[in-house]
Amino acid sequence: MALKKYNETELLDLRTGGVLKQIQKDYFILRTRIPGGHLKAEKLKKYAILAKKYGKDYVHVSTRQGIEIPWIHIKNINSLLKDMKKFGILKGACGPRSRNLIACPGSSVCRFGFVDAEKLAMKLDKVAFGKEVPKKFKVAITGCMNSCAKPQENDLGFQAQGEPEVDLDACIHCTLCAKVCEKVCARGKGQPAIVMDKDKKPVYRKENCYFEGDCVRVCPVSAWKTKKVGFKVYIGGKVGRFPRFGTEIAEFVEEKKIPKIIEKSVEYYKEIANKGERFGEALDRTGLKKAKDKIL
Amino acid sequence: MSDIKIDQILDLKGVPCPMNFVKTKLKLESMQAGKILEVLLDDGEPIKNVTASTKEEGHEILKVEEKNGYWNLIVRKSR
Repeated sequence: MALKKYNETELLDLRTGGVLKQIQKDYFILRTRIPGGHLKAEKLKKYAILAKKYGKDYVHVSTRQGIEIPWIHIKNINSLLKDMKKFGILKGACGPRSRNLIACPGSSVCRFGFVDAEKLAMKLDKVAFGKEVPKKFKVAITGCMNSCAKPQENDLGFQAQGEPEVDLDACIHCTLCAKVCEKVCARGKGQPAIVMDKDKKPVYRKENCYFEGDCVRVCPVSAWKTKKVGFKVYIGGKVGRFPRFGTEIAEFVEEKKIPKIIEKSVEYYKEIANKGERFGEALDRTGLKKAKDKIL
Repeated sequence: MSDIKIDQILDLKGVPCPMNFVKTKLKLESMQAGKILEVLLDDGEPIKNVTASTKEEGHEILKVEEKNGYWNLIVRKSR
């Protein structure tokens, strides 16, 4: 059978659909996306079916919470895409567009999480994925200061944080809160946010707080509680050949503002970046002040 | 706080995380609801982690106190 010849436009179309050329002649990699990394077991079985039928009976789990199926022969691409659609498997992106939004599990299962980052990521897929941009655009959401989803390494990153408050009547004067604070806030801010007075009562100094929640977790009688939850916002992060951490531009941003911030960041990126340039590189030229005005 | 009647004592000095919590959990499981366990733990990660995890398991922590270089954690077993 004569193989169909693909021209450049068709190849580009295949790429935007998450089909990448392998180094081996006539073979392609199917890139899928899993918003927030949350994948139903039933759908995982469908991946197995596709990998067996079209690939070499294995998948590659990407660093962006996607699953890739290599070794798809060029003559099978269309039929694979049909099956994929039938199974409800989502295509990933390549080329100049925004990528799968990644997240840690957050409070769905993690004891450190302030928010359910996974659920939030699934909700935001529509806003964040597949937008045409000058190079690429990556968004990450992480549920606490541990940064497991690496918001600082993405073009746009959200990091949940929590402000604690103490009920002194419930306190049993064990001093554990001050002990954990010494390890984190004192390291992050130079001074601890919690110190004990002479009666072993905690005194809270918000200006030194790292908002990471260890005091709330360790308190044996739940005298420390989380009063307020919000997000730090980082822009301009990337890794690649020339890595650059994102810069923090806001603290305690409300969850409901996130979709707008994503939209405006993509918009601003398109406005300031040259073709082939990442957000952070463009920001190095145009500065942060204007970016904050436009995005926040 | 001398009015707390200790039913069982578990000495976990020198036992690293997470084995110290596992032993605490198993001990609590062997006890009746309402009974009181005193656990001796090292300073640093052990007292911090075992306290947080025991609370998360739903037990009531009555007292946490530093002794000479180690900690006393006093827990009332929940249902």
